[in-house]
Amino acid sequence: MVQGLVRLIVLAVMAGLAGCSTAPSGPPPELAMPAEDPLAGSPALSLVRAAEAALQQRRSADAGEKLERALAMVPDSSWLYRLLAEQRLRRDDAAGAEGFARRALRHAPPEKPYYQAALRELLATALARQGRQAAAENARARAKTLRQP
Amino acid sequence: MARKPRSRKDSGSASGPTRHLWLKLATVVLVLALVGLAWMDAFVRERFAGHEWQLPARVFAQPVDLYQGRELARDDLRRLLELMRYQERTGAPKPGSYAFSGNTVQLHTRGFGDDDGEPARALRFALTDGTVGPLETASGADVDIARLAPLQIGSIHPGHREDRVLVELDEVPETLVQTLLAVEDRRFHEHWGISLRGIARAMVANIRAGGIVEGGSTLTQQLVKNFWLTRERSIARKLVEIPMAWLLERHYSKDAILEAYLNQVYLGQDGSRAIHGMGLAAQFYFGRELDELEPRHYALLVGLLKGPGQYNPRGNPEAARQRRNTVLRVARDEGVISEAEFRQQRRQDLGVVPRGESALYAFPAFVDLVRRQLAQQYSPGELGGEGLRIQTTLDVLAQIAAESSLRSFFEQNNRAESFNGAVVMTAPESGNVQALVGDKRSRRAGFNRALDARRSVGSLIKPAVVLTALEKPGQYHLGTHVRDEPVEVELDNGRTWAPQNYDLESRGPMPMLDALTQSRNQAMARLGLDLGVSHVVDTLQRLGVNRQLEPYPSLLLGGVEMTPFEVAAWYQTLAGEGFHTPLRAITTVRNRQRERVARYPVSTRAAVDAGPAFVMQWALQQVVQDGTGRHAAQQLPGLKVAGKTGTSDSFRDAWFAGFSGNRLAVVWLGRDDNGAIGMTGSSGALPVWTDLMQRVPQRPLKLQPPDSVERVWLDDDGDRISASGCPGARRYPLLRASIPEQATACGKAGEVSEGVKEWFKGWFD
Repeated sequence: MVQGLVRLIVLAVMAGLAGCSTAPSGPPPELAMPAEDPLAGSPALSLVRAAEAALQQRRSADAGEKLERALAMVPDSSWLYRLLAEQRLRRDDAAGAEGFARRALRHAPPEKPYYQAALRELLATALARQGRQAAAENARARAKTLRQP
Repeated sequence: MARKPRSRKDSGSASGPTRHLWLKLATVVLVLALVGLAWMDAFVRERFAGHEWQLPARVFAQPVDLYQGRELARDDLRRLLELMRYQERTGAPKPGSYAFSGNTVQLHTRGFGDDDGEPARALRFALTDGTVGPLETASGADVDIARLAPLQIGSIHPGHREDRVLVELDEVPETLVQTLLAVEDRRFHEHWGISLRGIARAMVANIRAGGIVEGGSTLTQQLVKNFWLTRERSIARKLVEIPMAWLLERHYSKDAILEAYLNQVYLGQDGSRAIHGMGLAAQFYFGRELDELEPRHYALLVGLLKGPGQYNPRGNPEAARQRRNTVLRVARDEGVISEAEFRQQRRQDLGVVPRGESALYAFPAFVDLVRRQLAQQYSPGELGGEGLRIQTTLDVLAQIAAESSLRSFFEQNNRAESFNGAVVMTAPESGNVQALVGDKRSRRAGFNRALDARRSVGSLIKPAVVLTALEKPGQYHLGTHVRDEPVEVELDNGRTWAPQNYDLESRGPMPMLDALTQSRNQAMARLGLDLGVSHVVDTLQRLGVNRQLEPYPSLLLGGVEMTPFEVAAWYQTLAGEGFHTPLRAITTVRNRQRERVARYPVSTRAAVDAGPAFVMQWALQQVVQDGTGRHAAQQLPGLKVAGKTGTSDSFRDAWFAGFSGNRLAVVWLGRDDNGAIGMTGSSGALPVWTDLMQRVPQRPLKLQPPDSVERVWLDDDGDRISASGCPGARRYPLLRASIPEQATACGKAGEVSEGVKEWFKGWFD
């Protein structure tokens, strides 16, 4: 009950602050892992960092192995699925990338429109590389909508 | 012409023609010997340099990752380490050892050299309430993730029966090498392939014995014999062996010869598999790597060279002990070990692990799956000789749990004696096959029911019928009433299909959800017929059924045969939020140099939209909460799981397929002769499933509704919006497109206030 009251107070404060907030302006923030992603603070993060390094060094198979290890530890991380989608794109596996991009979207935090937009762009790339231009355009349009303030 | 008279003159007392003949003969023999020697020289050089070791493919379980927060029971960790032949030693002083002290675990891992491997490390961590704490090295450095070298669970050697683990000379402990030389060839580093002293000694022994009892062979000669000659003891063989040994020594270093010898020697038999080389023998007899053994083990291995059958430590332990002690004595006399070591080592037991306990034979059903998948892509020659290293997805602890659950069911059910069972466990996010049991006696290799028992799936099919309906949101939602009433269909063959319910009753109209949770046959048959059987078939194939399915009405009630593995393949999609993730048992294939030659990555595709997938998961959770699977909810309090029972006609097959947030398991029970077992999915398979889920770490299902789904109160008939507290109101997750437009009077009044109340309730909960 006490916890509930505390939450109510926090809610009231947030409601008050909401009046002071402004719509986002300027360029979209750099793509970063959402703070609420289950990967944040997980030991699997070290595998993800190693995978990112492997991707930069064009060792995409190594990256894939590490990401799949991380997946067993954190199976519901949108960020991890996003990286798997990127890794599949590097391996010219657009269909595989589409699957992971869609999973990343399924697990994406609802209050992160820029992040969701980035995932839609990723999905659009995967679709376009499969020759599915109409679906890709649709995904891009949704990404654009999400980026609008 | 001038030479002939001189020859005659010099011939002395021999007659001219005879001496001439002898000279010719000698010349011919000499020429033949030189030709033979030249041929042997070419032969030895070509064969030794180009020798291809026959290295069977080795199959490994998934490496075990240790990290903070991992759920791992103390008993499970101990079991795992014992399987991996780690030794419990105070302070865990060397690789392959561990120590428990209160909640603290000291673990000295073995290194392994794959791409994703790591060096040996001395680690320390707490294991509190079944959870791994922060990891650190002996020097106090933090470690995010540590990885245990994967357990070998099998080898594949089609086409020949020779097995070995190649070792390089610098990997072989010096004590083993010195013990070997002390016993088999003391002058190895001095002779040039043959030992005249040895031959003389053998001749004396043979003359005394009146036959050939000793060969006097050097290691080089033994190697030549093992490589290219027969085991027959004859003068003729010696006449070939000796020059070959000499030639081998002329062309190759002592180290190369010694290394080849260590890998070639025959050291025992394991059924049809011949154990060659010290590397494999160490694993076969002691369950550990060569460098983890002690002088007594080396002595036993060296002692076995004299007669692997005669001194087999499992079959003839006393003879093996005497032989080992003899070798230890020689090692002491030659200064390989000290007097104190000799005394200490000879008091020890043989240290041989029982054959049946080896992980190499523990999981035949899973290895069978791996073998079948490999056989599609690799030739017998590649599998038997290339030394491939097959990395699989087997989760050893899940496998042991699956075996234990099935075994304990049969132990507790006397009437189950005549039937058998199978279990498949997978990871929904990756499709990894974590466990596979194909027989209630899990170590028995033979009929693999998990892969080959094609049986009627009964009501396991019903989620596919419901999902087909949910994908038509304009027509159906979980509250839509379907009629549980008799139904008859005239078939093409003139027969009539008229399904009955389990209780032989018909309950009339009921919400689709209830028809599923109570597994009502007539309601599901009617629903499926309304939808069209071919549409249900389409759904099944989208979910992951690869088999050609005929759209007969009986399919709607599971009149279709599948193996437990096939069921797991499509339930995987239901567990995976509508994403089809094909099952995989192999992740990587590496060559003998440990370079990756093939990878089998996780793949996934959206098979069902987020909305229907979520609603389907929720409905299957209700099966466990309130329906035919409620035994699971009672046994797994606090864990959100979902699943479906299945029982085929006349109680021939009992099934349960269900999942949590991180495990999908399918259990089948039945008789090989397809006779009745008198059990249902609820009474037979479900208890096995529940027991299994209790034995392995679980994550609950996360039922997070997507944007396209709302939780809505509906009236008793399911066709109007209602509200909490209204008569007959029930709440369902509905796709927005399926939410009725009309509302009851009570529903209209309660709608707004209910929404606000629920919002606040969420905050206070």
